[in-house]
Amino acid sequence: MKQELLITVNGDEHHLLVDTRRTLLDVLRDDLGLTGTKNGCGAGECGACTVLLDGEPVNSCLTLAHEAAGRDVLTIEGLSSGGVLHPVQQAFVSQGAIQCGFCTPGMVMTTKALLDRNPDPTREEILAGLRGNLCRCTGYVKIVEAVEVAQCLLAEEELV
Amino acid sequence: MSTCIIGKGLPRVDAVPKVTGAAQYTVDLKMPGLLVGKILRSPHAHARIKSIDTSAAEQLKGVLAVITAKDVPDGLFSFYQWLADKNILCGETVRYIGDEVAAVAAVDDDTAEEAVSLIKVDYELLPAVFDVHAALEPGAPLVHDDKESNSTWSVERLFGDPDKALAECDFVVEGTYVTHAQAHTCLETSNCIAKWDEKDRLTIWTNAQAPHTQRQEVARILGIPRRNVRVINSYMGGGFGSKLVMDVKLPIASVLSRLTGRPVRIVNTRSEEFTTGKTRYPYTMSLKTGAMKDGRIVVRDLTVIGDAGAYHDKGPATINFSSMMFGTLYDVPNIRFQAQMVYTNKEMGTAFRGFGNPQLTFATESQLDELAHKMGIDPLDLRLRNSNCSMGTTSCGAEICGCAMTECMEAASEAIEWSQKKARPSDGTLRGVGLANMVHTGGGGRFYGYNSAEAFIKLSDEGTVTLITSALDMGQGSHTTMAQIAAEELGVSLSDINVLSHDTELTPYDLGSWGSRATFMDGNAVQAAARDARAALAEAAAEMLEADPADIVIEESKVWVKGSSEKHDLFEIVDHAVNAHGIPISGTGQFVDKLPEGYTIPTAFAKNIPCFSFGTQAVEVEVDPETGQVRVLRVVAAHETGTTINQTMSEGQIEGSIAQGIGFALMERLVRQEGKVQNDRFLDYKIPNIGDMPEIETILVESVGTKGPFGAKGIGEPGLVPTAPAIANAVFDAIGVRFHELPITRDMVLEALKETR
Repeated sequence: MKQELLITVNGDEHHLLVDTRRTLLDVLRDDLGLTGTKNGCGAGECGACTVLLDGEPVNSCLTLAHEAAGRDVLTIEGLSSGGVLHPVQQAFVSQGAIQCGFCTPGMVMTTKALLDRNPDPTREEILAGLRGNLCRCTGYVKIVEAVEVAQCLLAEEELV
Repeated sequence: MSTCIIGKGLPRVDAVPKVTGAAQYTVDLKMPGLLVGKILRSPHAHARIKSIDTSAAEQLKGVLAVITAKDVPDGLFSFYQWLADKNILCGETVRYIGDEVAAVAAVDDDTAEEAVSLIKVDYELLPAVFDVHAALEPGAPLVHDDKESNSTWSVERLFGDPDKALAECDFVVEGTYVTHAQAHTCLETSNCIAKWDEKDRLTIWTNAQAPHTQRQEVARILGIPRRNVRVINSYMGGGFGSKLVMDVKLPIASVLSRLTGRPVRIVNTRSEEFTTGKTRYPYTMSLKTGAMKDGRIVVRDLTVIGDAGAYHDKGPATINFSSMMFGTLYDVPNIRFQAQMVYTNKEMGTAFRGFGNPQLTFATESQLDELAHKMGIDPLDLRLRNSNCSMGTTSCGAEICGCAMTECMEAASEAIEWSQKKARPSDGTLRGVGLANMVHTGGGGRFYGYNSAEAFIKLSDEGTVTLITSALDMGQGSHTTMAQIAAEELGVSLSDINVLSHDTELTPYDLGSWGSRATFMDGNAVQAAARDARAALAEAAAEMLEADPADIVIEESKVWVKGSSEKHDLFEIVDHAVNAHGIPISGTGQFVDKLPEGYTIPTAFAKNIPCFSFGTQAVEVEVDPETGQVRVLRVVAAHETGTTINQTMSEGQIEGSIAQGIGFALMERLVRQEGKVQNDRFLDYKIPNIGDMPEIETILVESVGTKGPFGAKGIGEPGLVPTAPAIANAVFDAIGVRFHELPITRDMVLEALKETR
């Protein structure tokens, strides 16, 4: 059954008619064309579909689209502004934390949420925070480094 | 030579689109009229199809086509067509749980799923066989009843006189080693879109590691001219060997598209990826190693039984490759390799990073430690005494070009503090160190009877260099590597290069990205193309600057005449050449890996490999006596790169390989009951997550003597080859128990600890 859905994605308001059974992931990808958010398993086990809902990371494949009604959704497409990469994105690029790139959007969004919540995480907190995001390419070494570099970049931004 | 771009850890050229979500993968593509295709798969491991009733599915609103075996060409397919054994859709017999039976095309996912559920198939169950040993018993059920037995492919290689050597050597160790099915688990599952145009040409968008050979495979199975098939790649979400051979979803989508006149997409669910996406071949290996008192290994004798699953796919090629690596790791004068692939009623295997070598190296490098233990020699010392530095032709005919095996061993053992840790008194913790060596191809192979590559470069007046190469980037970074090689050779900056590799209409014929091949093969072609383009540019510049082409200097996007202080912008020269003088500037490059004299496919053996790459990994582990968990604390990986093209990316290849190697060693195994996969999701089939990873130190060992671009070798696979035996050897050091089976699970460790107490 379709119902009206008012949703804000990356600052843009959308007024949609959406079946109540559909997931946020499907609506983002199929209705709004935001294919940066990836479907790796469809079961909340790989983290590739992570987006921020009112700033909190969620698996968009496990979130019904209507659960996001009236709330703010941030996807990977909304992270950089005016062609300038967000510090987390800059760090993933500079540290070589990207290979095939399919897990990258979810990894980056989870990292952003982690550093928003805890700007100065320990190594253990980083590992705990990213455990739900699987990567089959990198062995995670450079992802950990990227999170630590992002941490420094964000701290520098705070100082300016 | 001094280089500006080669060797630097420059960010990959596709990093920004990937980190902003702009990169479009095949699953992200949209097109008008796109239909959803879905496959009905067999729920039985072995059964005869008595009848199929598709009427209810056909009547469902929104269904545009339903197909069964009668609607598709009835020819069989395999990677080697002369071993063809796989239908597009099964007509009479299904041979594993997941075998393709029927397919639908519908307007959306829900309708397609419902339509599949409405197809009624009446099966007559047949006896099935799941274990290779049972499959080889006389009277075992035949997976293919037109064949005489389940043994499908055998190889025998003999060098020297192993029987005599075994009788005469001072020490012999023997054992049987077992590995199981590992899944690739690319984050982007296998998927495609097929579409016919008004000229009767078929375009397939898919994530393929070898689009040119897959194009041939699609044409072959559909019985249409190759020229009518075009394969287009997008960004790829991982490959690791799984996207090398055509999957039958390509011809299935093609037939559905033909019938509906609309593009049809088929995407594997994660469960389909686990249960039908093909695996690493499980091996059972009976191995003997014999050595003299001085430590010299004089004989190796190996029998392998490989589990093919229900169809051949890459099995014969994998086992052949294993034999080549077996004969090459150490220069052992007496070698026997006997192997057979055996059909079982399970998901088939295919290529997987390392291509039969990680299984093999688990056996050989575990047994080398057992030999050292028996002889009372330090395992490192035993390896150093046998280091393969022949720099010539080994006993089995392998031509070693540039070997840094000893350097790798020294670097890895020093970094792990081998002698201190070996001598460490026990403090109650169950810690241990272990190491293992490896050899692998660093440049693909001549298995097709040839090995060649081609590349094109054009310099545009607006200021870009377009590089057309067939080096497919599945995430390993070949676009960046190719761009670095072109930029270095041309004298431009990396950001000037635009790499295209995605379309068989555009790119030259190529065997694809596999076998650590792209850097060596396509890299050489790219370097040649860049050299050609540079010569064209020098020629044009000489005419404009009224100088001799030999005096033209091109560096860092500037052009000048030797001795002159007036430097010109490179692209201004190009602009001027093109627009004022009408001189187009481009380059073509080929690299043909010359076959050794007397080469024939059946006899070539290790002469198939144009370039070998050696390496050593040393690991430290800790075993938890309460839970049985083996925790890898630290890995030092010293691998040959020849010349490092991109430090960050080479490290990344090794780190990622080690993660897959840790999975292979300790975690990953598809568990089946009566042929049904029990762990078809990430929750149950655990791959390493960020918290499972040890500290990794990567040491890139440069070596001379290879014919790769700037002296480089491939580094895509080597990092996975020695990880598992290094871990098994460290576990032995920690708890004194030798495991002959992977993965080494917690219950195996707990059971073993119970027995030793």
